[in-house]
Amino acid sequence: MTGADQPSVLVVAIGNPDRGDDGFGPAVAQRLRGRVPPTARILERGGDALALIEDWDGIPSVIVIDAMAPISEPGQVHRFDLTESPLPIGFAPSSTHALGVKETVELARSLGRLPQCLLAYFVEGEQFETGTPLSPVIAAAVEDVVVRVLAELWTILETKGKAQHA
Amino acid sequence: MANRTIRVDYIARVEGESSLELHVRNGTVDRVRLSIFEPPRFFEALLRGRAFGEVLDIVARICGICPIAYQMSGVHAVEDALGIEVEKPIRALRRLLYCGEWIQSHALHIVMLHAPDFLGYPDAIAMARDHGDAVQRALALKKTGNDLLRLLGGREIHPINARIGGFYRVLSRAELAPIADSLKRTRDRAIESLRWTAGFPFPEFERDYEFVALRHPGEYPMNAGRIVSSVGLDIAAADYETEFIERQVPYSTALHSTLKERGAYLVGPMARYALNRDRLPAEIRALADEVGLEPICRNPFRSILVRGVEVVYACQEALRLIADYEPPSRPFVPPEPHAAIGYACTEAPRGILYHRYSLDADGTILDASLVPPTAQNQDVIEDDLREVATAGLDLDEESLKARCEQSIRNHDPCISCAAHFLKLQVHRT
Repeated sequence: MTGADQPSVLVVAIGNPDRGDDGFGPAVAQRLRGRVPPTARILERGGDALALIEDWDGIPSVIVIDAMAPISEPGQVHRFDLTESPLPIGFAPSSTHALGVKETVELARSLGRLPQCLLAYFVEGEQFETGTPLSPVIAAAVEDVVVRVLAELWTILETKGKAQHA
Repeated sequence: MANRTIRVDYIARVEGESSLELHVRNGTVDRVRLSIFEPPRFFEALLRGRAFGEVLDIVARICGICPIAYQMSGVHAVEDALGIEVEKPIRALRRLLYCGEWIQSHALHIVMLHAPDFLGYPDAIAMARDHGDAVQRALALKKTGNDLLRLLGGREIHPINARIGGFYRVLSRAELAPIADSLKRTRDRAIESLRWTAGFPFPEFERDYEFVALRHPGEYPMNAGRIVSSVGLDIAAADYETEFIERQVPYSTALHSTLKERGAYLVGPMARYALNRDRLPAEIRALADEVGLEPICRNPFRSILVRGVEVVYACQEALRLIADYEPPSRPFVPPEPHAAIGYACTEAPRGILYHRYSLDADGTILDASLVPPTAQNQDVIEDDLREVATAGLDLDEESLKARCEQSIRNHDPCISCAAHFLKLQVHRT
């Protein structure tokens, strides 16, 4: 992507809506549609995490949303700024994809292909059974993350706007 | 030498969950177990009672890396049952789809999963710091493969456009043309990638495999051909179960497949190449010669070169198919169900994939049999490990562990999705 069509911010929602709480990302993407600033783009990814490196090519700010295996309490939301440092040990998003998000982010870092700003929201899932919907506790976290991501988007765009006018 | 048990709890950089256990007694490896503990998935049972038209959507879910292979063996087997003959352009589009899968699957394995073994890195992430160009090339190759799958199949994971009798929608020449430009660039990158892997240090190691692959009168095999072997087997897919047998082993959830008469055999790129080198275009054979790939390669560590040659070929073949393409008169032949049995074998990136379906009069599936390449290679992988470990018993634990992992990855086993590390336990008694 280049030129006028290129968004300022990309929101990548990762997950499979047919695998229980792995559908968290797509559920957030669904609620974000129509509510994001015009220069933001929403992308759902269900498969190959490696493709993220191409997806965010040339886009300065990216927010990734995914589900992860429970480590403390299902429904708990974790926010990470991955721009400078990798995910802490133990925070590997639960993935039904070939190469995981964590590995892809670190591969991009090795290659110098990380966005200038990379934020991640991970929710701890409860179950990832085939053909099941989101668990109630995970579904309850969707709107919370939607609101937080919208706030992030506006902050990113405001910061960018100020930088341009400075 | 003391007795030892070498256990690898999780085999990484392969598709799926498996472990390895080696028992060493008096200095020789006397038992090797590659245990696949991926939960049984019961796809054959799941297919029973479903309509024949659902086959492709169901079997595509077996694998996120090689869904096309499952769709192609499925489509040919059902069409064999129903007596459907497709037009040449449909056949070309299917071969093009397969090219996309070979490109993306091989590119992933060559650079992301296998190359770190040769260069001494724990994973592709660490390797990327020193070999960024190679990793960037692999990402570009994989992207082109995925683009081809998305263009023809509707999406790259579990594509949705193939159907019994043809495709739901076929492309025009104009729709196919743009991807030719990226395929040309991809072919150049594939050649660079092959030359890069040719410089790797390859262990001295050879085994006298019985190679099994498809063979077609006029083309390097993908969708069609007879099942042949390096010791004279030559059968139609319909005779597969006469010659081959699947058996359960107590330590694995995957069946092991063997030749009834002769036991273990090898499928995959090494077998395809050994049995079909003469079906490759002259310039591809010249490239294989240039990188030192012998006409029959028996060193499994050098399988990475064969995969590299096949990626270049798949790019070139895709370009040829696009250049020659004329849309078919209709997107699909309407299938008319009747009671029948159909068989097919196609060349998945990892080797031959056999499907058999029994249909009743209204096309409901009564019975299905699917034999994936990895089930066929398990005995060979274990035999390789026995020899690799025997030769490496004097190595320190880390080196032996690395060599065993590398030996497994030589065959790119597709068990499911990969992590990237291996826990090795050695018990000395």
